[in-house]
Amino acid sequence: MTGTIRRFSGIIGMLAVVAFFAISLPDTFLTARNLLNISQQISMLAVVAATMTVVMVMGDFDLSVGAMASLAGVVAAMLFVAGWSIPAALSVALGVGLVGGLFNGLVVSLIGILPFVATLATLTVFSGLAFLISDGRTIFGRDIPEAFGDFARNGPVIGSVDDRLLVFPNLTLVALAVIFIIWVVLEHTSYGRRLYALGGNREASRLAGLPVTSLRLTAFAFTGVGAALAGLMYASRVASANPTQGDGLMLTAIAAVFLGMTITRDGQPRVLATVAGVAILGILDNGLTQLRVDSYVREILVGAIILIAVGFSALSRRNLLRS
Amino acid sequence: MTRLEIQSISRRFGAVQALDGVSFTLNAGEMHALMGENGAGKSTLIRILAGVDRPDSGSLLMDGKPLGLGQTSATQQAGLRFIHQELHPVRGLSVAENMFLDHPYPTRFGLVNWREVHSKAAQALARLGLGHIAPKRPVSDLGAGDQMLVRICGTLIKDERQIDPWLYVMDEPTAALTGEESERLFTVINTLTEQGVGVLYVSHRMPEVLRLSQRVTVLRDGQHIETVPRADTDQDRIIHAMTGRDLSGLFPARTGVLPSSGRPALRVSSLSAGRLKAVSFDVQPGEILGLGGLTGSGRGSLLRALMGDLHRDAGEVLLGAQPLATKPAEAWAQGLAYIPRERRAEGLMLDRSITENVALPHLTPFARGRYFLDPQRQTKIADAEGERVRLKHADLQQPTRQLSGGNQQKVMFARALAGNPSVLLLDEPTRGVDIGARFDLYRIIRALSDAGKAIVMTSSDLPELIGLSDRIAILQEGQMVDIVSSEGMTEAALLSRFYQEQKAA
Repeated sequence: MTGTIRRFSGIIGMLAVVAFFAISLPDTFLTARNLLNISQQISMLAVVAATMTVVMVMGDFDLSVGAMASLAGVVAAMLFVAGWSIPAALSVALGVGLVGGLFNGLVVSLIGILPFVATLATLTVFSGLAFLISDGRTIFGRDIPEAFGDFARNGPVIGSVDDRLLVFPNLTLVALAVIFIIWVVLEHTSYGRRLYALGGNREASRLAGLPVTSLRLTAFAFTGVGAALAGLMYASRVASANPTQGDGLMLTAIAAVFLGMTITRDGQPRVLATVAGVAILGILDNGLTQLRVDSYVREILVGAIILIAVGFSALSRRNLLRS
Repeated sequence: MTRLEIQSISRRFGAVQALDGVSFTLNAGEMHALMGENGAGKSTLIRILAGVDRPDSGSLLMDGKPLGLGQTSATQQAGLRFIHQELHPVRGLSVAENMFLDHPYPTRFGLVNWREVHSKAAQALARLGLGHIAPKRPVSDLGAGDQMLVRICGTLIKDERQIDPWLYVMDEPTAALTGEESERLFTVINTLTEQGVGVLYVSHRMPEVLRLSQRVTVLRDGQHIETVPRADTDQDRIIHAMTGRDLSGLFPARTGVLPSSGRPALRVSSLSAGRLKAVSFDVQPGEILGLGGLTGSGRGSLLRALMGDLHRDAGEVLLGAQPLATKPAEAWAQGLAYIPRERRAEGLMLDRSITENVALPHLTPFARGRYFLDPQRQTKIADAEGERVRLKHADLQQPTRQLSGGNQQKVMFARALAGNPSVLLLDEPTRGVDIGARFDLYRIIRALSDAGKAIVMTSSDLPELIGLSDRIAILQEGQMVDIVSSEGMTEAALLSRFYQEQKAA
């Protein structure tokens, strides 16, 4: 009962934010073009947050995703410079994500270092690698193949408004595909349910015969690949790569998962709820920017809203336990 | 001497009348047992005594004067202290620091006076005859029993403000303790009552209650059934008062005949693992083998070694004709099921639903095409197995945290049965389970054995071990010293076997 109130107040809060912007920005906010624009702006965050959900259902998390995103972008760009084809360079960059993620999993599950410490350390390593490979420079201009930069700008045409074509952004399509895959894995495979079981009670899961070590190890591969993919999406969007451009993704992704947890029935991380969290963060950013709110003030507002939402959820959960 | 009068206390939660005009008295220096099935209202009464909850009507009279209701400070001032079953000592701290958790530290020049902390702690420990616990030791070095005793001692520490406690309310204090640890607690309880301190004791363990208490109060469905001197009652009468029905014999009898020959369901040959040394035994299909012994004899380790949770150093284990796997995941798949001792810590995902908990080890066999979940099938199986173990629940999506101890244990049984195992390993299956659910569990265990499942179980409850087992394997310090028939076995005889040959060796 209280759970229902908690969930609905979360959802109503989100709708209120949308309504506020819709009223304040009657001409620009609720247009198809702006919504598609938002969907593209949040697509990289959505990919990182969705894969972050995979490790968070186990009660772990991965701080290295931002650094991995930067690293993957730089790796792809350097390979472009070296004359590699787009598919080859992208495959290697994604491979770097896979290896990095598995390495995180290895350190966390086999050696048993706390995820906080382990991924904080690999964050530094990945970031250092990105600087090392790129020599600290931004790679842009003629070094980046045109087709790579065009990918982010294009997409299937779905109509036209005011004589301008309305494009469904490719990056949004990529994000939707990732979200769908993660949703299937978490909600509809035994693998996913086992990850949830680990989050519920790791010791009980072990005694019930779950392969705890290999589950944790492989789950970190999702965040690694997700982060690398997001890094490539980012590089495509700005048609350049530098060793710090993905760094901001990590905290926002974790915040999105926590925001999502406030609207799930049992307070667990769920990927669709995470997507709602990502959307609300994207809408806030977009709306506040259009209202010409100073970007520093914007950060304060977004942080405060996260605190209020998660804090409210925690309070109503406490009441739930008490009754 | 009557000190606290509980006068027609009533409390209603929604549609449930948790307490309905309950009245009885508590005396100084008396061991008073409070009995009742889960849901009888014991916990609600304790919460009201503790001032955590307010009654709808009724009053508490302390030495003839009304006590403030719903105020924890009032009950503290009145000298009541509460010892809960789930003890949470602070792991990183020493014994003395844990004892001082709810007291201000003595200080000198504004700094903690450690010498006084330790000497006061030592005094309190000595007062209860616990000189063997050093105040400076980390509390995590102690067993669960000593941790409980440290907690009791902590309440004996006095500062200027506090008055001496005269009544301890103990809610299932032995639920997490071994036999010897319980004995030490009983000695402490005796010391306390000799010093004029009263104890209100809640326990599901009938032998303890019969042995220790001077008066027994029974609640049923929120009603006060009776308060009688121990001398005027016995086990049958208490059970009758608790359940409202007569129970003929605690342990259901075997209905079939045990196959004496043929291939054993489980054959263990010279198994060494951890502290276990060259343990060998067979279990026939349908047989219940009890594992008996003192704490540290290796009963739990044996089950863990069979399950593959404890590395097997040497020896051979056959499940039917197959060598038994060495990993829990494969052992489950081969038809072994395990119910761990610590239901909450090792068994359940407390915030997850009944269905999820039942399905946990069986996700692959229950899945469509091996990988994809089949929620309907899971629900159907959880429903069927829940029915089979007489699980009482509101719905299958209910988090298991909301279930009583007995029903949580039934969820564990449902999980074990869902894989249709040939051998079940049960570690203390009725621990912290009330008497009504206990009978259900006994019936389930018996029905499983009648259905041809082999069962290996440990139990610290000797009547239970004797009553259920066909044979009892006696372990001493990791060695299996004997296997005896439970036929005609008495508690005293069994207990003496636990000690006996240790001396000879």
